[in-house]
Amino acid sequence: MNGALETTNPLDLGRVVEATLPNGLRIRLLHEKTAPTISYCTVFQVGSRNERVGLTGISHLFEHMMFNGAAKYGPKQFDRVLESRGGHSNAYTSNDLTVYYEDFTAEALETVVDLESDRMRSLRIDDEALAQERDVVKEERRLRTENSIFGLMEEQLESLVFLAHPYRWPIIGWMEDIERIGRADCEAFFRTYYAPSNAAVYVVGDLDPAATLALVERHYGDIPAGPRPSAVPPGEPVQRGERRAVIRFPAQAPALLVGWRGPVGRSPDASALDVLQVCLTVGEASRLRRRLVQEEEIAVSVTISWGWRIDPGIFFAFVELPPGQDVRKVERILYEELEEVARRGVTAKELSRAKALLRSAVLHELSTHHGVAHALAQAEALVGDWREAGRPLEHYARVGAKDVKRVAAEYLDPARRSVVVLEPEGQP
Amino acid sequence: MNGEIVLPPIVRSRVDCGLRVVVAERPGIPLVAARLVLRGGSSLDPVRRHGLAHLVAAVGRRGTRRRTGAQIDELVESMGAELAVGVDEDASYLGLSTPVEHLARAIDVLADVAGGASFPAVELGRLRRRELASLQHDLDEPAVVADRALLGAAYDGHPYGHPAEGRVKDIAAIRRPDLVAFHERHYGTSSAILVVVGPVKAKEVEEQVQRRFAGWCREPVELPEIPEPTFPGRSVLIVDKPDLTQAQLRIASPGFARSNPEYHSGLVASAILGGAFTSRLVEAIRVNRGLSYGVRSRFASSRVGGMFFISSFTKVETAGELVQVALDETRRFCDDGPTAEELARTQSYLCGLHPLSLETHDQLAERLADLELHGLPHDEIATFRPKVRAVTAEACREVGRRHFPLEQGFVVAVGPSRPLARQLEHLGPVTVIPAKRIL
Repeated sequence: MNGALETTNPLDLGRVVEATLPNGLRIRLLHEKTAPTISYCTVFQVGSRNERVGLTGISHLFEHMMFNGAAKYGPKQFDRVLESRGGHSNAYTSNDLTVYYEDFTAEALETVVDLESDRMRSLRIDDEALAQERDVVKEERRLRTENSIFGLMEEQLESLVFLAHPYRWPIIGWMEDIERIGRADCEAFFRTYYAPSNAAVYVVGDLDPAATLALVERHYGDIPAGPRPSAVPPGEPVQRGERRAVIRFPAQAPALLVGWRGPVGRSPDASALDVLQVCLTVGEASRLRRRLVQEEEIAVSVTISWGWRIDPGIFFAFVELPPGQDVRKVERILYEELEEVARRGVTAKELSRAKALLRSAVLHELSTHHGVAHALAQAEALVGDWREAGRPLEHYARVGAKDVKRVAAEYLDPARRSVVVLEPEGQP
Repeated sequence: MNGEIVLPPIVRSRVDCGLRVVVAERPGIPLVAARLVLRGGSSLDPVRRHGLAHLVAAVGRRGTRRRTGAQIDELVESMGAELAVGVDEDASYLGLSTPVEHLARAIDVLADVAGGASFPAVELGRLRRRELASLQHDLDEPAVVADRALLGAAYDGHPYGHPAEGRVKDIAAIRRPDLVAFHERHYGTSSAILVVVGPVKAKEVEEQVQRRFAGWCREPVELPEIPEPTFPGRSVLIVDKPDLTQAQLRIASPGFARSNPEYHSGLVASAILGGAFTSRLVEAIRVNRGLSYGVRSRFASSRVGGMFFISSFTKVETAGELVQVALDETRRFCDDGPTAEELARTQSYLCGLHPLSLETHDQLAERLADLELHGLPHDEIATFRPKVRAVTAEACREVGRRHFPLEQGFVVAVGPSRPLARQLEHLGPVTVIPAKRIL
């Protein structure tokens, strides 16, 4: 590619059919016949950012409740019916969204529309199901957080990076809040956040767009719109110095997690941070892998995570150290490398490598119906326009070495970092 | 959903150096997936050198006669790819997925790394230190501890009885001549398979392969015969991790080899018991009792044998209850078999999901490579649905009775040993080991 990025749109978005029903439900359909399957994705614009102290984790707990039966399809029916028609479903909750999806053989489309519209219209919320799901979620929390080194550290980092914003509590919620959430809380939550006016449906695959639109209108058209959810105040005080926390836990080796507050997903800087992330830790030739893992041998692994969010999210580096390694040395070298990028930027070769890797990642994402449906959904929910799903390559092409240098200097400022150190305790 | 899956044209050939080439000419997304498979894998690791096949693959990509490790990294990543290397009990794999315009370079890299590896001593030292540190980190992952312990307990003393990543003592003892000797013996073109999937022409791929693999023509030594594994009887192995608040649990029993004719009935039976989200185990353990966030069962089938296992986790206090519920459900399945509704639902589920598991070029390449490796016909992909549809309730019950953990099952639990032993000791003789022992 000689350093130039192939920016041809991998998605022909001219074929997307979009509509909004009178009740506010947004519908986006794309006919793709590469496989005889369909991916159906329903997004509710609610996540942990819409919660408050005392009810943390309700978005995620509620996601579990959505599989417990509605008026037409009762308890235990949702997945049974779907599986019997050749499909499977799952869901996830993020800081910003709750997403339900089904991937299935094309003949099952009508069944899926019936199942999804049934639970949006008439979900059953009873005490017994709530008690059961509460136990399941507590096990999920024990698995992902309380018995997981990264989970413990991430939870701590979020509460350092954010002092005021709801991103400061974990998506799964605090254990005591999971215990506290009651049926009335769930009912109010459903009325507000699960109304069609707060949702969008994305359907991609072997389908007839006109017939699918008519089908969706028929099933969802009579569900009443809901109240407008309250706005989330984005406020967060300016950070004026490093924040630190130490976790002592029985572990074999120390670990380091360093995070900075980044820009909002819709900022042009979000793409530049994607490129920076790849330059730093994606691939063996990335700067931090080369220096920390290969040359200095002071890390077993190093990764950077940067996910676009509605409000400013976290750009963080996670480093696993060999047993006995001094964390201070790792911190020093990590900061030295980041400062080097902030002062001198990256080379043309590094930039070209990063863009080639990002192009492949985009192509991989768009190589399944599931990936396309999710790309449309994420683009609309986080950046405000589903058309952005087809534009990442254009954005990456516009990122120059000077942008990478600028975002490194601006966002990875030492005075704005938060640091969590895991100190191994005793011998497990 | 009952029909056959339509596959893209698949062309098989053998180039001069003996390498078998399988090309699926698949239009669509402009990526190409290439996967090179070398027969053998970690079952070839010599005694006291467990992890050797894994180190050969990992160090092999850190330098060849033509390129340094850093040059390989730069080349591969400038193509927008990452070179994946991996080892399981039956094979070593090298693979990458890249925009199709880089096809020739992708094939060149695979030939160079697999055939021309030079095993620089510096890179071996570095990787060995990193592998040893990674193994220590594994101790902090309760699920990884459970899986390692399960493998050791199931295949004790058998070539499948150690994880591909090896053991601390063995990795520390491996020297460069070990790597070179393993590579000479087992990395040969005449037993290797290259699978390429994407918007390519088979002829063009074959020409490239002919050219790029020409310098590496080698007949590997015959693969040794691997005996059928023998499994332990009803027993309990507890890996002591005193600080955990949640126990990781595995219940296992002898399964079958990948090429066994019971494969499809096993797939259906396992999906009904613990594979799908509406399976009996999910319903009994998660939905009805809230004991766990997840529970699954599956057959893990290899070239000469396999195992069946159920995996789950729950707070330490309910470990015994969870295992008992799982065993009761398994017994009920083997006594009565599935209902007609369960069987039909699960068949539809497996048939409906089948094309989803072949949607990307990487997925199809992996499937084609596995079929080649196990000597299975390619039409297994196309005839998957009719074969699944043909499974009867009686066949499910039969395969369950032969392979599910009834009298012959054993349990592995990771967590604080005292409360776990109290809850599980009625299931059979209990052995407690410290977590470090699994390394």
